[in-house]
Amino acid sequence: MTLLKISRKLHKWLMLFLGIQFVIWSVTGAYMVIFDIDYIHGDSLVIQHQTPIDVNKVNISLNDVIKKYPDAQNIELAVLIDLPVYRFKNEHMDMMLNASSGEVISPINEVMAVKLAKHYYSADDDISEIELLTDKAPFELSKRHLPAYRINFEAFASPSLYINAYSGKVVTKRHEFWRLFDWMFRFHIADYQDGEPDNLLLFLLSILGLFAALTGLVLTYYRVIKNKRKRSNAIY
Amino acid sequence: MRFIKLIHKWTSLFVGIQLLLWLVSGFYFNIMDHDKVRGNQYRAKIKPAPEVYFNMNNASFIDPKTILAEFDKSQSLKIISVLDKPYYLLTHQTGLYRHFYNNQTLVNAYSGEEVVVDQNMASKIANISYNGPGKIQSVTLQKPPIEDIPKEKNTVWQINFKDNVNTSVYVNANSGRLIKHSDDDKRFADFFFMLHFMDYASEGSFNNWQIILFSIITLWLVLSGFIWTVELGFKGHYKFSLSIRKNRKQRISEVPLSAVDKK
Repeated sequence: MTLLKISRKLHKWLMLFLGIQFVIWSVTGAYMVIFDIDYIHGDSLVIQHQTPIDVNKVNISLNDVIKKYPDAQNIELAVLIDLPVYRFKNEHMDMMLNASSGEVISPINEVMAVKLAKHYYSADDDISEIELLTDKAPFELSKRHLPAYRINFEAFASPSLYINAYSGKVVTKRHEFWRLFDWMFRFHIADYQDGEPDNLLLFLLSILGLFAALTGLVLTYYRVIKNKRKRSNAIY
Repeated sequence: MRFIKLIHKWTSLFVGIQLLLWLVSGFYFNIMDHDKVRGNQYRAKIKPAPEVYFNMNNASFIDPKTILAEFDKSQSLKIISVLDKPYYLLTHQTGLYRHFYNNQTLVNAYSGEEVVVDQNMASKIANISYNGPGKIQSVTLQKPPIEDIPKEKNTVWQINFKDNVNTSVYVNANSGRLIKHSDDDKRFADFFFMLHFMDYASEGSFNNWQIILFSIITLWLVLSGFIWTVELGFKGHYKFSLSIRKNRKQRISEVPLSAVDKK
């Protein structure tokens, strides 16, 4: 058999089994490259406010904080909407203090979480649901961000903001396009277990796929460049 | 059907080579050593020293309020430790992520003076993060875009070590933060990522126009092939026994008559 005949046979039979995988690869791949990754990551869902600390409102000194919490670590003076706050770790617990009054404001309550979500959310949509997650993190939230409020907005693609109950910071954000992206990626790497591309299924699919594509290229070479056969008497 | 075949032929000509590159690089991602490609072969695990708010002479920090009033307006003031010494890190402009542009100032917490991360300080930061056999070969200040870390939007120090994998350490030039280690193993994998993402302009992104174009054409290629395969199935071209019989018939007819005569 000639190279042409072998290639034709291999291409035909390999693609009978791999065809579906090639469809999956090209559809998921196209989705991932066409949608801008910053959009996918929901960067446009939130506003990065640039509010400076109002120095005149800071009445609590660093010494006051340390005197009261001698084990405080990772101390930060920052802004919560427009209020100066101290954030720090105290005996493995995150804390937040009002830097004006010294009052402890962590963990934040639901009213504050809603206020923060509206402050950071870039559009003007209504909140459809709010939930405090304490023990079990959903698939899309890292466990280290718990406890956190999930605030769902009533808008296209169902956006959610996750706000940490101790820091009041937006720890992550999601919308359907990102959730779909995660699924697309798992299908793209043929992983149905742990989200890593080093699985046996992908090994087999990609090595056989490589042969299938190579034989296809041989066919293209004969049909286009050598053009030995007329279209009319070709089987395919 | 002729139209499907035409699409399949011409799209394959257009994206064929890239399709092979996708499969080869994809295969590489499957078999590559996932620890090695992180570039952290010689990265030491550093536990930052706990912050101590009083030094030997029991002098305390300059109070944050004084610092904030003295420097440009800040959105946050963080106490960080760099090379086991405490500093205030002022952020005047906050990026959504750390690799986005951030305008920051490092301030000595005891004296309240601004600290510039110079070549010497950057080298020390790199050195304590490095546990390999090499010595520092060169230290250069680099502005983005930076080849090894294309997503980084801040000015960085690049500290190159002379070792078997050519380790480079990147330190943020404003904050002194250790950004990343990179080495030849990582660069080798990055080359395959460049091929896979068609990132031939090294933008560190897979949303470039060439891959969008190619992915759409590949969709046409694959869908036309899929339809073709289904059609072949309906036409009975996938009957295994039939194809063998056909071959045998062919093989017999290919035997020259003279050979039969001699027997």
